[in-house]
Amino acid sequence: MKVKLENLTKRWGPVYAARDINLDINDGEFVAFLGPSGCGKTTTLLLIAGIYKPTAGRILFDDRVMNQVPPKNRNIGMVFQSYALYPHMTVYENLVFPMKLKRVPPAEMKARAQRVAEMLGISQLLDRRPGQLSGGQQQRVALGRALTKHPDLLLFDEPLSNLDARLRLSMRAEIKRLQMDLGVTAIYVTHDQVEAMTMADRVAVMKDGQLQAYCPPNELYDRPRTLFIAGFVGNPPMNFIEVEVVLRDGVYHAQRAGFDLPLLTERGGQAAGRGPVILGVRPEDVMIAEEGIAGEVYVVEPLGRDDLIDVRIGEVHVHVLADPNRRCKVGDRVHLCFNTQKIQLFDPKTEQSLLWT
Amino acid sequence: MSESASTVQALEAGKAHYPEEKASLRSLLSPLLFMAPAIILVVVFFFIPVVIVLAISLTDMSTATGFNNWKWVQFDNYRRIATHPNTLPVLRNTLMYVALTLALFNVGMALVIALLTTHVPRRSGFLFRALWLLPRLTPSVVYIMMWKYVAADAPYGILNQHLLGPLGIPPTNWLPAQPWLFVILTNGFIGASFGMVIFTSAIESIPYDYMVAALVDGCSLWQRIRYLILPLLRWPLLFVTTYQTLSLLTSFEQILLLTEGQFGTEVWSLWAYQRALSNYWGNFQWGFGAALAAVLVLIGVVMALVYMRYFQFNQLVQEPKIEAL
Amino acid sequence: MEDRLGMGNRWRVAILLLILTILTVPILVGYVWILISTFSQRTYGLIPVDASGQVGGLTLRNWSFLWEDPNIWKVTLNSLILAIGLTIGVVLVSSMAGYALSRISFPGRRVFLGTTLVLHAFPSVTLLIAIFFVLRWISRIPILGRDIPIIGGFGYNTLGGVILVMLALQLPLGVWLMKGFFDHVSWDMERAALIDGCSRWRTWWQILLPQIRPGIAALAIFSFISGWNEFLIPYTYITDQQQSTIAAYLNKLLSDTAPVNYSQVAAVGLFQLIPVMLFFVFTQEYLLSIFAGGAKGGS
Repeated sequence: MKVKLENLTKRWGPVYAARDINLDINDGEFVAFLGPSGCGKTTTLLLIAGIYKPTAGRILFDDRVMNQVPPKNRNIGMVFQSYALYPHMTVYENLVFPMKLKRVPPAEMKARAQRVAEMLGISQLLDRRPGQLSGGQQQRVALGRALTKHPDLLLFDEPLSNLDARLRLSMRAEIKRLQMDLGVTAIYVTHDQVEAMTMADRVAVMKDGQLQAYCPPNELYDRPRTLFIAGFVGNPPMNFIEVEVVLRDGVYHAQRAGFDLPLLTERGGQAAGRGPVILGVRPEDVMIAEEGIAGEVYVVEPLGRDDLIDVRIGEVHVHVLADPNRRCKVGDRVHLCFNTQKIQLFDPKTEQSLLWT
Repeated sequence: MSESASTVQALEAGKAHYPEEKASLRSLLSPLLFMAPAIILVVVFFFIPVVIVLAISLTDMSTATGFNNWKWVQFDNYRRIATHPNTLPVLRNTLMYVALTLALFNVGMALVIALLTTHVPRRSGFLFRALWLLPRLTPSVVYIMMWKYVAADAPYGILNQHLLGPLGIPPTNWLPAQPWLFVILTNGFIGASFGMVIFTSAIESIPYDYMVAALVDGCSLWQRIRYLILPLLRWPLLFVTTYQTLSLLTSFEQILLLTEGQFGTEVWSLWAYQRALSNYWGNFQWGFGAALAAVLVLIGVVMALVYMRYFQFNQLVQEPKIEAL
Repeated sequence: MEDRLGMGNRWRVAILLLILTILTVPILVGYVWILISTFSQRTYGLIPVDASGQVGGLTLRNWSFLWEDPNIWKVTLNSLILAIGLTIGVVLVSSMAGYALSRISFPGRRVFLGTTLVLHAFPSVTLLIAIFFVLRWISRIPILGRDIPIIGGFGYNTLGGVILVMLALQLPLGVWLMKGFFDHVSWDMERAALIDGCSRWRTWWQILLPQIRPGIAALAIFSFISGWNEFLIPYTYITDQQQSTIAAYLNKLLSDTAPVNYSQVAAVGLFQLIPVMLFFVFTQEYLLSIFAGGAKGGS
């Protein structure tokens, strides 16, 4: 099923939880809503579910306006962060409850519940109550409950946040796999950019109730359209340096005290003559080299595979991912070499990218 | 997009989809059905009675006039109250009853029991609090019967037999002899449990750190009560005092059962009740009784409004997190 | 845990317990007396004695009312009907209204919540005179007024009328209590139910009510005891002996026969007290929670 949001707005008093959101989701697509807590992503999800009513704008399922359709008639399945299982029912009763309400014939109901239980590996738990299950098992039951009714749309509200790190990793793959096999449209709300990037076909980044970007994960990573996205996506986060771009001897240079970096013409040209701009570069796109911009090692954080090194250049600090074999020590004089193909440039006032629109 | 633009969008969305109106009607109906029984009961047994009390208080309705021959007498009943020979004594009785019961039991004893039961091992504290709850749960007729027997003349009365006899005090029926003592005791032993429960939960919710800090500072038990617990109990104390003042002001069931207002124990609410609904002579003066009750109703309304103003009404009202119906 | 309040000192605990015991003695004395008295010919204080005043005279004679006075069973049944009717009514009406007030946004919600809170503090006994007139009016409604089997109807001089009045007077407490319990149920669970296909009615009945069973149990016990104990309202609004309750019956014994045969009256009192004591022994925690919750306005 296709989902379309048109100027979707939700306001509580003077506060906009969601503001003029326009979004198209294709049939069978997996879309992640990504943003920090309080950005309005869960509100948007609940608007789609019909739990909240929009202040303005429309929600369309396959070109049908859903604004006034109550949740029970939307044929959606939803998985919650708190699992929200019914504690007074057994796992089996939880699984068949949505089907009972849809008046599915008993024989089919039983068959479907067993199929889903098998698929999720919870067949042996059917007689237990949710209180007797572990967090991971509960989340599987919640997922099963959302699936048995054969929904047209699956909604996930931070479903993995309450699980421990390792379980999260395996559930992540499992959910993605299930969604692909079933071919059901899915919306997945998360504040974890790794989840969004690894699972989604497209990611909608939200901030303060507004849609910041809506594009495939790699585009989000390589071509961030706002300063917020650039800083939010990627770990460790992107370095930001305030510079001025000037044309010297036919080459664009990003300059500040103790810092001079030649830029590619097609990138530098967008930023020249604007006064101060913000240059962004990811830690993995900076290397410690024999020559280049000089700085001093300020902090070394071993991450295992890499060392995250904080290099001070004048007043700015640049984080660099370096090979641990280099054995950088605090106070070392080092030189930094930048991958100019990956340099981002932003307008400090509008916080928009100067490279991508 | 600007705000006005999104408002336009909203209007268009509404226009394009007519069902909106039907939905909003339904949105009223469902909560209304949930609320209907409660609303009907509240209207029939609170709102209408308040109006009736005020209306009847302006008539001379009584057994003598019946329900057909009564007439409006404006404020005659109130004037009668103002000049009635019983008014002053009853008023004095009421004030004495409320003030003494409140100070000695509903607040005083409640505080003492709460403090004591939170400073002994948990299980015994719980047992004693449960025992203090017992009078409130006992049928009032049975409860008053026990007290009557406590007060009864020798050789039956418990007081005479086991306490005063050995002390050499001549026996008598103590109920007529000391009516106020027993009015206050019977009401007090019931009333103390309300404050006790509230004070206990307030004391138990004092952060552990405070208690430890007080111990570390070398406070004695009394110092801790005086300088730590009591200041933190200010709000519950105020609540219990005001709430129980109102309850005592209008309660008369125990007095009715204990003395029926004899021996000079008539209080305002009992006076109203007996005038209008229950007395030996069967001469029910509904108009006059209603005027007596109306005075209490007005006090009740005012004080109830004061509670709502001061006891954090807004905190209790959160907006529902579901808008669908 | 014991040391939380710094009660390391054994002697101090012993003294505190002693003070508590002394303060509590007046409560216990009455119950001890009633127990002794019901099995004695008469008592001098707490000492059972026979007709000549000698210690002894234990007897079961006082309980003869159980088989000699058919009225006792009639009034017991009436009290039971009153208590059960009140319990069902209070739980049903309060949980419906409490659910709507806690969980549904509708115009007038705040106003009704405010009203309930005011009524919670409002001294309802002051309205007894006016309610007398309301009940008389209800009596005039055909069938509903005075022709319903078992409860007699909802008008004056019927058990149903008394149930209705008591239900209304307990409603503010019940609604606040239920609202408080509903407030603590997870919103996600209710959202899940709505998405799974429930209407709000089904959500209330099948999903939310099971979550607040302790609250319902507490309110039910409290209502049952109130109905079983109540003296004033049945005494005021029921004059018909056939509809009288056990509390009124006991009061009549106390005020009619002069001199009062205390031992026999004590037996009737104990008879009325037994169910209350059973509830008390097994459910004190629930009852304490009701007072804590109800007093603070339910949350």
